[in-house]
Amino acid sequence: MPTSIPRGYVRMPDIEFQSPISHGPISTPDGSVSIEDETSTTKVVVRAAAGTAAAADLGVPYGQSRLRADGTLVCGTRPDEWTLFAAAGRAAEVIAPVDTDGFVNAIDITHGRAMMRVSGPKATALLAKVCNIDLADDMTPDGAVFSGSVAKVTCDLLRADRAGEASYLISCERSFGSYLFAALADASTEFGASLPAGLSIH
Amino acid sequence: MNPNRLPVRPGEVIDRETSLAFTWNGRPHTGHRGDTIASALAADGVDVFARSMKYKRRRGIMTADHWDPNLFVQVGDEPNVRAGSRRLVAGMEVSAQNVWPNLRFDIGAANQLVGRFLSSGFYYKTFMRPKWLWHHLYQKVLRKFAPGGRIHWETSTHGAYDKRYAHPDVLVAGGGPAGMGAAIAAAEAGASVMLVEHEPDLGGHLRWGDADDLAVLADLAAAVESHPGIEVLVDSTVTGRYDHNWIAVMQRSHEIAPERLIKARAGSLVVAPGLIERPYVFAGNDTPGVMLSGAVRRLINLWAVRPGTRAVVLSANPEGDAAIADLEAAGVEIVAALDARAGEDIVEVEGRGRVGNVVLGDGRTVSADLVVIGTGWTAPTSLLNMAGDRPVYDPTAARYFPNQLPDDVLATGGITGNGTTAELVEHGRATGTLAANRALRNRHDRRSSTARARSPEGPIPESLHDTRASLARTPHPECYRSSSHGMVDFSEDVSSKDLVQASREGFDSIELMKRYTTVTMGPSQGKLETVNAAAVLAETRSMDMVDIGTTVWRPPFAPISLGALAGRIFEPIRRSALQDWHEDHGASPLLAGQWVRPDHYGDPVAEARNVRENVGIIDVTPLGKLDLRGPDVTKLLELVYVNRWQKLDVGRVRYGTMVAEDGVVSDDGVTGRLGEDHYLMTTTSSGAGAIWEMLEDYLQTYRPDWNVHVTAVTGGLTSINVAGPRCRELLLRLVEGVDLSPDAFPYFHVRRGTVAGVPDCIIWRIGFTGELSYEVHVPSGHALHVWESLLANGEDLGIMPFGVESQRILRLEKGHYIVGQDTDGLTKAPSAGLGGLVKLDKPDTLGLPELRAAYARTDLPILVAIQTDDPEVVPMEADQIVDGDSNRILGRITSSRMSPTLGRSVCLGQVDPSLAAAGSKVTILLIDGRRILGTVQEHHAHVDPEGVRQNA
Repeated sequence: MPTSIPRGYVRMPDIEFQSPISHGPISTPDGSVSIEDETSTTKVVVRAAAGTAAAADLGVPYGQSRLRADGTLVCGTRPDEWTLFAAAGRAAEVIAPVDTDGFVNAIDITHGRAMMRVSGPKATALLAKVCNIDLADDMTPDGAVFSGSVAKVTCDLLRADRAGEASYLISCERSFGSYLFAALADASTEFGASLPAGLSIH
Repeated sequence: MNPNRLPVRPGEVIDRETSLAFTWNGRPHTGHRGDTIASALAADGVDVFARSMKYKRRRGIMTADHWDPNLFVQVGDEPNVRAGSRRLVAGMEVSAQNVWPNLRFDIGAANQLVGRFLSSGFYYKTFMRPKWLWHHLYQKVLRKFAPGGRIHWETSTHGAYDKRYAHPDVLVAGGGPAGMGAAIAAAEAGASVMLVEHEPDLGGHLRWGDADDLAVLADLAAAVESHPGIEVLVDSTVTGRYDHNWIAVMQRSHEIAPERLIKARAGSLVVAPGLIERPYVFAGNDTPGVMLSGAVRRLINLWAVRPGTRAVVLSANPEGDAAIADLEAAGVEIVAALDARAGEDIVEVEGRGRVGNVVLGDGRTVSADLVVIGTGWTAPTSLLNMAGDRPVYDPTAARYFPNQLPDDVLATGGITGNGTTAELVEHGRATGTLAANRALRNRHDRRSSTARARSPEGPIPESLHDTRASLARTPHPECYRSSSHGMVDFSEDVSSKDLVQASREGFDSIELMKRYTTVTMGPSQGKLETVNAAAVLAETRSMDMVDIGTTVWRPPFAPISLGALAGRIFEPIRRSALQDWHEDHGASPLLAGQWVRPDHYGDPVAEARNVRENVGIIDVTPLGKLDLRGPDVTKLLELVYVNRWQKLDVGRVRYGTMVAEDGVVSDDGVTGRLGEDHYLMTTTSSGAGAIWEMLEDYLQTYRPDWNVHVTAVTGGLTSINVAGPRCRELLLRLVEGVDLSPDAFPYFHVRRGTVAGVPDCIIWRIGFTGELSYEVHVPSGHALHVWESLLANGEDLGIMPFGVESQRILRLEKGHYIVGQDTDGLTKAPSAGLGGLVKLDKPDTLGLPELRAAYARTDLPILVAIQTDDPEVVPMEADQIVDGDSNRILGRITSSRMSPTLGRSVCLGQVDPSLAAAGSKVTILLIDGRRILGTVQEHHAHVDPEGVRQNA
């Protein structure tokens, strides 16, 4: 098939990934809570029917997660559906080893989902202002994967503690990212965060 | 400087080292930290705090707590502040509300002179006719009498209200001895506990008790506060209990917000509200200086305020007797100590701004400035009622008691019976243990059945039996009304005389009487008056209290600010990856559903013209996009679209319309086949969510045997439509890996390639404008690069961005309809002009039976293109099409614009089938009443009906 030849466009040597969130991290002066943009994280959704080799390989039950030896975090997002998180720019490497035998699809959703992380001793209290899920340690332990409404946006959540401190990864449809970040930042003001100009939901 | 402030009291909560300055009706006052607004004013000698609602009678302190109906004040811009519980803050500007023109002289007090004409049902009887006076007079005058303070819309300094969620195992409503005992025992049993107290301090009646009470309180409070499993919320009210122990808690005076709604889901609810002291009905019982025994004990013991100098006390219980001791300790002279148990009574109080004389039951009249009433208790069973309980009246104890409760709601403390402090605490502890057991069993079940939860470590805790010893029901005389008539509902100014009259007029069931007289319907919500109202009715009808029943207590337990119910406002906004660019380049924002979009960049007509003449680009990201993969996609498409999908080759695109089960057009869009088992479906912007849900619904429930994976990719693919005669020339500069020549890539085809260096783009030859156009779908993280590359490379081609308004002009010129604008909730497929697109011979399609019926009809309206005969007149969208000079409606204009391409007005409209033939004349009724003529066109397209431009 003959192809047209591009000429003269302004080629940018490195096309930078742009996040929908244009603000840097928000944190309280006492470090009780921080909110960071992690949208550039590679995100791959794998849907694999029960009984397929892919489902067996992934192995993580619905509602739980596991960090694989290759650094990929595998989350059991919904029945027969997993979300795989890896460092930025690794979609092809994450998708390649998925066994596609049977009814299996692996789709790069990196560009389709905004993702942010809420961490710190007050992270759970912050989330309890915008999400009606029971976040007690036994109901939502480290590694728990769940979905819910966060500030009225449908989100997938993962509790992924860091250094023994509560930490949640929250992802939503990309177009809501800017709003959701602002809504979380608004919730953080109770714990002492002061917000930069232009980051208000009121 | 506070004339009524007593020397130091053992349990006082004021900090005498502080001096807080504030104003009352503009005059300066001072109080101490720990004072309520009311206690500070009472210490300063203020007697009158408010005027009553209807008769504008002077009102003073009656209960000196959160429930006091006479202590609603305005603080700055905040109305309806409860001065009986709101703590004093330096600088407060406090004023009386509901007075006109002021507290000392209120014109409305004239109502007292004509009171006999203002009896029950007065409003219903008086303001009905003539009707026109309602608007011109009644409404305006009544508004002056309406209770409640002033809202300052413009100058409000309130921050946003707040909300949070909580999931305690046990929620305890009430922080008295039983409630604290329950909280401690539940926490010791391993439950997470939320303890809610509506006053600013824990302790209930122990707070104003003797030294022993204060010692127990200190121990309990220390145990509560030191237990990590108990969250204490003071100055907070449990306002409602709903299904499955969904419990609303209103938290006040939190620094983050004026009020905060806590939505709690509790395993068990322990109801421990204690008892509320009941007023006594007699003539003049609302005179300032008539107080309940609890009020004087609180004033003396918590805030060291002497409530008066010469007191008459009427007591029927030990708490009333204790008030006598407290008054004596405060140096108040006891003029008469009357024992209601022995039949002693008060008949009338005289005095306007303050009690002056008291007429006793034995006929004596004594001079006093304080009357103290301790004649009984009301059980605030509200939360129990909300859990389905119908409490039962016990005449020997003269109050109501809980009856039957669900397992997850338990009652303890004074509401269940009487006891010593130790007995109350013990009952609370036993209740807390039981509540924890039930909640932890529930938690065990939830952990076992919730995918994300940690599996329970051991077996389910064994179920405990309810072996609690009941608290005693100490006999108490039934003291409700003296031989005289007086106020029953202090909030609504309803007297016992009004209730007797209502009963005589036939409103003689408690529920009817309530609605007719408004008794119990004010801010007190029955806390003080509901039992007295029932007692008056029982007396009038010579019935037993048990048979009278009560009104049903519903949420909220206490009035709530509307702002608090609204909580924090969350209104999600969706933004494309290019929205920042649009805003930086002067785009007018358009809110379309949740999306914010560029309406135009200053001149929509110029933008539209440029698309016809050169090339334009528009951000159409909100277009719904669903990635469909699997061997059964074709079956799914056949099911949800009205047209055929079997023979769609890879690389081809087809337009489809969906109808709902009722045959009404629900959505439309194009779907392209990207690979053997891989399709990309587009939907309308507004329909994207619903269509995704519908597809999942079908795949998960009706057709679980079909193998299709649906992934929503709307925001992940930024959609840029490149339109105009020079768009191919532009894309040739930027696209790699795709032959853009018309033969290799014709209209309604789709390709994948690299655009401006960005791989994995999807390029469609589709468009809404009627021009030669390509729609480029770019992975959103790189969308801005592609957008800016298009602009940079199209500069010499005359490129301009265009917005939604230009697109609407262009699509109307081309005759493309918009689902939801040119169709409505009744538009079946034939009315949308779909014609041959619908295949009625398919084996199955959503809405097929309805479609067959619709196509058999000849009376359905039809969508047509219309041009006005006067090319300058643009009808408004929704202008009606009528039958000549009559007003018989034959259709309506659904879309209209001035066409820059044709230089004339163009429209789409739904018309009666008799007018649908090309060349038919229609009469359009304009909003200014003029009637103009229009002509039905042969095609929907006003511009380029043959499609020469788009197929170029």
